[in-house]
Amino acid sequence: MIDFDRISEVALNQTKSLGATYADLRVVHTRDESIRMKNGIPELIDRSESLGFGIRVIVRGCWGFASSCDLNPENVNRVSQLAVKIALASSKVKKNDLVLSPVEKIVDTYQTPIQIDPFKISLKEKLTYLLSLYDLTKKISGLRSFESFMDFREQKWYFASSGGSKIEQRIIQSGAGISALAMRSHREMGRRSYPNSSGEYQTRGYELIEMLKLEENSERVAEQAKALMDARTCPSGIKTIVLDGAQVSLQVHESIGHPLELDRVFGAEKNFSGTSFATVDRLGKLKYASDMVNVVTDPTYPSGLGTFGYDDEGVKAGKSYLIQNGVLVGYLTSRETASMIGKESNASMRAEDWGDVPIIRMTNTNLLPGKHTLTDLISEVDDGIYMETVSSWSIDDNRESFKMGTEIGWEIKNGKLGEMIKNPTYSGNTTEFWNSCDGICNEKHWKVWGTPNCGKGQPAQNMRVGQGASPCRFRKVKVGE
Amino acid sequence: MIEKEKATEILERGLKLSQADQTELVLLEEDTKLTRFAENVIHQNVAKYDHTLFARAVLGKKVGVAVTNGIEEDDLKKVVGDAVEIAKNLEDDPDFESLPTSPDAEKVSGFYENTSTFSPEDRAFWVAEIVKKCKEKKILATGALEITNQGLTVTNSLGIRQYFEGTEAYLSLTSSKNSQSGWAQGLSRDVNEIDLDNITETAIEKTLRSEDPMELPPGEYTVILEEAAVASLLLFLGFLGFGAKTFIQGRSFMAGKIGERITGDNITITEDPFLTQMPGIPFDYEGVAKKKVTLIEDGIARGVVYNSYYANKADQKSTGHALLPNNPYGPYPKNMVIKPGNSSMEEMIKSTERGILVTRFWYINFLNPMRTQITGTTQDGTFLIENGSIKSAVKNMRMGHSILEAFSNVEMMSRKRKVCPQFGVVMYIPAMKINKFNFIE
Repeated sequence: MIDFDRISEVALNQTKSLGATYADLRVVHTRDESIRMKNGIPELIDRSESLGFGIRVIVRGCWGFASSCDLNPENVNRVSQLAVKIALASSKVKKNDLVLSPVEKIVDTYQTPIQIDPFKISLKEKLTYLLSLYDLTKKISGLRSFESFMDFREQKWYFASSGGSKIEQRIIQSGAGISALAMRSHREMGRRSYPNSSGEYQTRGYELIEMLKLEENSERVAEQAKALMDARTCPSGIKTIVLDGAQVSLQVHESIGHPLELDRVFGAEKNFSGTSFATVDRLGKLKYASDMVNVVTDPTYPSGLGTFGYDDEGVKAGKSYLIQNGVLVGYLTSRETASMIGKESNASMRAEDWGDVPIIRMTNTNLLPGKHTLTDLISEVDDGIYMETVSSWSIDDNRESFKMGTEIGWEIKNGKLGEMIKNPTYSGNTTEFWNSCDGICNEKHWKVWGTPNCGKGQPAQNMRVGQGASPCRFRKVKVGE
Repeated sequence: MIEKEKATEILERGLKLSQADQTELVLLEEDTKLTRFAENVIHQNVAKYDHTLFARAVLGKKVGVAVTNGIEEDDLKKVVGDAVEIAKNLEDDPDFESLPTSPDAEKVSGFYENTSTFSPEDRAFWVAEIVKKCKEKKILATGALEITNQGLTVTNSLGIRQYFEGTEAYLSLTSSKNSQSGWAQGLSRDVNEIDLDNITETAIEKTLRSEDPMELPPGEYTVILEEAAVASLLLFLGFLGFGAKTFIQGRSFMAGKIGERITGDNITITEDPFLTQMPGIPFDYEGVAKKKVTLIEDGIARGVVYNSYYANKADQKSTGHALLPNNPYGPYPKNMVIKPGNSSMEEMIKSTERGILVTRFWYINFLNPMRTQITGTTQDGTFLIENGSIKSAVKNMRMGHSILEAFSNVEMMSRKRKVCPQFGVVMYIPAMKINKFNFIE
């Protein structure tokens, strides 16, 4: 049992006595279970646990952060001193004292709702289910491999700050997916996956596994993997493209979410994760996208992978607009960066675990649904390509020039889907691309897609984030090589 | 840090607690200190200490893995018990034979006291020196200085007992002025070997030289890739095919090609963790002593790296390249080396009638893995070479090219090599002049 009151008392008292003008403490206990099966054989089954704490302080107007896995009060005391010492060192190379936007004092508990606790489902039951998926594909000849996985995470989070906040959170995330690989030689391969190339992750319990209906899609992905080997290559040229929700979610992630992280905008990530073209002088002016594009950051959206009650600065989760009617109107902010543009934080400071300092991250970056159906989008295209499932992505450090690839595509001729296409790719410039969006599917096609592996920061942090998206149509896009 | 004797004692106790037929315990200890700076100020300054215990339990042909960051008696019991319980629930894995055995690994001197004790004040002093030089040129400095102490202890019930302690210092610097930027980096186990002045001056010089960049049309160019740019190509080639997992499954470009030419005859690539410049660890995460492995020799595919599982599957011996037991990627070469050429950078530039000099690539990803085809943009210093000299800065360009094809068109390579760390892999790499390199945007 973690004596959080005792630990926070030691940390906050010690840092205050050493001159910290602000301090916060997080204790995080993370539990993971991961099951990976290949061709019916368990390839990797592991359970892991990690417990520790991190202390963040401001001394002489600068940040210091120290963390440790040893929760003994004597060590908490020592690490508190180290955090102060580090902040003092930071103050040797500073310009101005940092200022935090205000936050209310909060004493609360929060939990993501679940129906079935995934850690109470036996390993045997999980393995039996994954094996049954493989059995569905065994009859399909020419398949090199069929893989399936499940991941479950429980994170218990305790937060206390010198401002008097004391918050507890329990977040449960589940994920699963399947993929099939067909192969004749290393130059002739077809890969298909479902629901996305990294599966699907949400803040749900084991009920997510039942909702995904992997068993209804196993044979389809296997057959499509085989068919891709003989599919035609992606034509080159300027075409209309329709992207499925998964690929739109990646496009939102890479070309809206990341460029609107305000630490990146201010140059904090220039050496590692890059910068952004969406500078603050363009706030309220930049026509980022076509009028129909509305994007919000919303960590309150139920079941998104970026859903929580409070961020790692103790700021209450809320919904705010980033792009409204196509115009840039907001950023993802921390208390520090929000104060630099005269705003309040929109709860975007997140840390992967106890040992990681919070940095600005996406939560659920949601492209709000439009009015179209997928049939509408396709029927209005004379010559184009429908692309499905994330495969490859690359974007420049300024988040403008990108090249993306999907697992599979189909040509669109005169409003109808035609031949299958392998390795479809497209490229563009962020604002030109989003301004060419002339169709967004409605809420029936919309969901929050989970991205379990968003990398940023040094030491590298792997964050779990969501993007709400439905299929979209873009005109005059460069496709192919 | 936990002393060797203490670490060994913890794992010995864990082995005794296990009910499995075979048991492996790995204790990874990391003490990381990092100072990040941007726009000429320190904006992030952190320290983290953690120890992680990995347990692998074997029951016949069933293998379970559990992980904790606790090392008390109850943690040991739980992690070993969890690994056994997982194994009990599994079906047999027909390809699993046994945990490995291995002789003691070669002793490698990886610990440097002056790195280990490099303090927050020392890091701030270095950053202040960088910022001072950048400010003199009206340039902004952004970067990171990281100091790591690492301890790794591996034991198993078949007699493996390996221990290693090492330090590492890494500095990465991006300097910028408006839209111009330059970059340089350095890595060493000994912080005193990091050439602060050289890294700072290189980044500043590239930034100043990047003024008024011109736009070049996409197309085929001769390129001179600096060491970090070549390292990115090698890193992605490694992902695709230098590990036994993709090789055995036939997904590697090496599959079915051993003994055949796959690159130009001036390309020799080895996996060599013992090279003096390399911060290699002499054994892998299952405690097998590492071997030097020739991957490509004079353009001919020679071999891949193995862990014990895939070695058994392919009737080979492990080369000591297992990753941590809870990863699904199979073995991987983490210390790749390219044999140098006999040119200098100046000679490569002088011999080029028209070409592009690339400092490094940004955000590389696969376009078509079967063809080793990747894409990414140039970054932090791209220059046009005309008639044997650098003529102008060039706006960043997006390349789209096959790595094997690039390594088949290498005209010249540098004598000098640099240590190039990327994504946890450390490479020792020459610069290359490559013909017919494709930029797509």
